[in-house]
Amino acid sequence: MSPSDQQREDLANWSPDRDLWRRSCQTDATADEAAHLLDLAGFAEGRLEPDESDRVAALLAGDPAATDDVAAARAIDGGVHLTPGVLDRIVARACAGLPDEIAARVVAFPAAPRRRILHGLAQWGSLAAAIAMASWLGFAMGSDTSRALSGPISSSETSLLPELFDPGSGFLRDLGEVLRT
Amino acid sequence: MAQSGEVDALARGDKGAWEAFVRRYAGLVVAAVRGVAREPAEVEDLAQEVFLRLCKDNFRLLRSYDPARAGISTWITIVARSTARDAMRRHRPVLMPIDAVPEGRLAVDPIEPAQKLKLPEALLSPRQREILTMLYDREMEVAEIAEALGIDPQTVRSAHHKAMVKLRAHFKANEE
Repeated sequence: MSPSDQQREDLANWSPDRDLWRRSCQTDATADEAAHLLDLAGFAEGRLEPDESDRVAALLAGDPAATDDVAAARAIDGGVHLTPGVLDRIVARACAGLPDEIAARVVAFPAAPRRRILHGLAQWGSLAAAIAMASWLGFAMGSDTSRALSGPISSSETSLLPELFDPGSGFLRDLGEVLRT
Repeated sequence: MAQSGEVDALARGDKGAWEAFVRRYAGLVVAAVRGVAREPAEVEDLAQEVFLRLCKDNFRLLRSYDPARAGISTWITIVARSTARDAMRRHRPVLMPIDAVPEGRLAVDPIEPAQKLKLPEALLSPRQREILTMLYDREMEVAEIAEALGIDPQTVRSAHHKAMVKLRAHFKANEE
């Protein structure tokens, strides 16, 4: 492959890459704190690849606090010896932040107040009573009608039903006809 | 990732594992935060902040530790100092008469708000950025870039390839 072929191939392949590069130049970097901390630790130990190391060095050039952190991490020598009292206090405070400890301290969701239960009971009770009353009335009216239409009419019958219904057809009478006659 | 058995035990809420972890690294954390604390009395508070950060969100930060990339002592030192500094910025207000404050402590903090980085600055090495700038912004040929930088053209292509892999991976991860 001649150099000019190589250049043409480069140009053809790199067009989408150019778009990606331009897009990246318009994009703010999102702070990935965990990755940054690992980068600094790797840099402090000289474990990064040359490119990565150069990148972190460039970032550190504008971040004196992180530069101090790296220097401190290089100088650290196993930590300090703590007295048992101090160590116990630190352990106790660190354990207070454990997720299960936090969960144990969550205040239980407040139970529904009793008044709300009584209110519900009253609502359902009144509905049931209304249904029972309607059923009884319906049944009483139905049986009264049935008795009035089928049985002999006694003189003591005070019901208006015989006057309202025609026993022959079982339909309502035409009261206007009665009045006309 | 952090030693998987240890982190699994921690994530299961094994209080014994967490206590052992804290006992093992408390001295290291205290040494690290001492370098940041203004007063000796702050050290224990800052140490607690560090451990709370490590166990926060089901040990999210602790799980991000990768022993292949750095030793745990170095990583914990970096985490401890960073956490302590953040905590001190948050808890800065002190109620005392201004006359009682030493003049040296009234100085304006030299730390300025960090300028937001663009993606190439955060992800790519200076050499990679330089090559991509020459290639795409100045529209130079690979051979010209190689000559200008005094490197082999194949090195230019390799740097370009590595940079693109990083950028693609970043955008892919963000789009998922």
